[in-house]
Amino acid sequence: MKSALKCITVSAMALGMMSSALAAAELRFTVWTGNEAHLAMLNGIAESFKETHPDVTVRFETIPAADYTQKLTFQLAGGNPPDAGWMMEDAAPTFANAGVLEDLAPALDAAEGYDLADFSKPAMGLWSSEEQIWGVPFSTSPFVIFYNKDMFDAAGLEDPLALAAKGEWDMDKFQEVSKALKEANGKFGFEFKDGQGYESRIMHALMPPIRAYGGDVWAGGECGFDKPEAVAAVKQLHDMVFVDKSIVPPGEQGDYFSGNAAMTINQISRASLMPNAGFKWGIAPLPTGPGGESPVIGQAAVVVFTASRQKELAAEFVAHMTNEANVAEMAQFFPPARNSVLASDAFVNSNELIPADQMAVVADAIAKGKVLPSHERSPQILAAMKPRVDALWRADANVEDSLKAVCAAIQPLL
Amino acid sequence: MERKPSTGSAARGSAPWLTLRMREAMEAWLFLSPTLAGFLIFFAGPLVAVVWYSLTEWNLLTQQATFVGLDNYDDALFRNPDFWHVVRNSVVFALGLVPLNMALALMLALALTRRFRGVVFFRTVFFAPVVTSAVAWAIVWKFLLQGEAGFVNQMLAGVGISGPNWLREPDWAMVAVIVTRVIKMVGLNMILYIAALQAIPRDYEAAAQLEGASNWQIFRMIIWPLLGPTTLVIMVITTIGSFKVFDHIYLMTGGGPENGTLVLAFYIYQQGFQFFNVGYASALAMIMFVIVLALTVVQLALRRKDT
Repeated sequence: MKSALKCITVSAMALGMMSSALAAAELRFTVWTGNEAHLAMLNGIAESFKETHPDVTVRFETIPAADYTQKLTFQLAGGNPPDAGWMMEDAAPTFANAGVLEDLAPALDAAEGYDLADFSKPAMGLWSSEEQIWGVPFSTSPFVIFYNKDMFDAAGLEDPLALAAKGEWDMDKFQEVSKALKEANGKFGFEFKDGQGYESRIMHALMPPIRAYGGDVWAGGECGFDKPEAVAAVKQLHDMVFVDKSIVPPGEQGDYFSGNAAMTINQISRASLMPNAGFKWGIAPLPTGPGGESPVIGQAAVVVFTASRQKELAAEFVAHMTNEANVAEMAQFFPPARNSVLASDAFVNSNELIPADQMAVVADAIAKGKVLPSHERSPQILAAMKPRVDALWRADANVEDSLKAVCAAIQPLL
Repeated sequence: MERKPSTGSAARGSAPWLTLRMREAMEAWLFLSPTLAGFLIFFAGPLVAVVWYSLTEWNLLTQQATFVGLDNYDDALFRNPDFWHVVRNSVVFALGLVPLNMALALMLALALTRRFRGVVFFRTVFFAPVVTSAVAWAIVWKFLLQGEAGFVNQMLAGVGISGPNWLREPDWAMVAVIVTRVIKMVGLNMILYIAALQAIPRDYEAAAQLEGASNWQIFRMIIWPLLGPTTLVIMVITTIGSFKVFDHIYLMTGGGPENGTLVLAFYIYQQGFQFFNVGYASALAMIMFVIVLALTVVQLALRRKDT
């Protein structure tokens, strides 16, 4: 009798716990930002999800960007998948082809008032096929030039924004100004993105000038590094590093954000570093070249993992997170892919650090830009490229031969 | 098992059919079981698993594993030129690091065995890098070894030497990682040598001095042979350590430039954790295991021949 009672009590408790667990679900969402302002905004979006899903909480888990894709893979492989998360553009094809990303199309179609067609078509390219949607871009952030206005003033030079307004901001001017800045200030004229242009940011260093010259790193399964446009672009960079000595060379540090280089290339999310930098600054478009204007965009999207035990719920949250109101909210940090938000005055005025005329540069670049190249075998391609690109960055290197070697190394992988 | 009549009060407890020996064996197993479980789960299990993985083509992301027999080994040993380049780098690293580390450790130990004012301070100074975070160590050195603006090159420029761009030229990068690794780890071997030197009775040295032996003769004929077992241990652990070096390379050069410092452990990491080819990485890990094992056996055999 006693044991029967015990049995009933325990079962009742278990059932009770299960039902409350079912009702009070928690979604685990991985991100690579640890920035308090970003997280406060995300938590606000999670809070507003409670209006339609009162018992659902969303927990944002930060994984540092450098390890993000790797740690995510281990969580998926180790049977501990997050329900949803951010994903970088270079990982997208690998993850989509591995079948680990959930198709979001049904959830987005079902979401009330969700206007999928509002997302710009090129921005969706990487994240969808004709039938499926693997991710919804939340950040379509073009690369822009950050410049140190004080250094330009000290050298008596017009700043890039002014030059761009006059239509004079091209690759030749970029080289000329960088050299003049170096001579006038004794500090480097330009630093590659995060000082990592020779290491983890090879693509971010080479891509903008190559596209400005009208080339591409690869397209349609064919390597583009050894094409004349790319060779001319990289030759110019090589001269700037080793002849003009105006770009921070390999093996040296010359941090823009601490005032040790006059210009760098980055995305507007880095503007959060600027208030403490201690100098006047601005942003400008990338220099144009013989290929015309060719903004380069870095992209990230929100995805749901097929291994999640609550993928329907997670997909509903993604639909909520990327509705028009929330995209407008996120736009202050992460430039949107929704045309309606991009076109709004609210967007150019959304970032309190960046004046409207400079935010217009961002909006313009998103409209005209092309996303960074990505590939299912991106990690292998980058690893195969790296030693050949190392050889390129020697003072006595033959640029054309080095780029041919890069193509020879990566062509089999394309 | 031999049956003995039960003796003692323990054997007459609740299970009288157990002999004392069986009871003792059971107790021993019980006491051992926590450690044994840990060993099986966290050491033996993964080791066996790596052997199995090395026979499969397993993509971590898709979770698809196909049995491919010895294909991964065949690939590494006979079809992939990168592999032999990597092995060569590992051998160069070991050949540079082991003798340098051991010679320096022995010299420091000989100097710091004697008791003099401040000896503890010097021992601490040379041992401190061993307990320093490897990450901090590598980052600081990376900074010091910058091109023209780096501290090391500034110092060299001060005496009229134009230093290379240490971490951007393949050969110099290898030299840089070896030397910084030696400075970091030499303290450990120094302590082992100091302990061994202090265990040598002073009488031997005093007797030799009385016989008129020079310092060099005392070292060559008495101290060096008596240090033999310690030298062997140091050589084995330093060699194994040099083949397993990963953090240092990862942080200082990332295997570059031009794959000049791409060593075996880093290559395994790259295959397994960047490209997610777990099967191939496991096969490489097995090959590394065999190489290290073979080197250890050879060193032990040489030593046995010596004595």
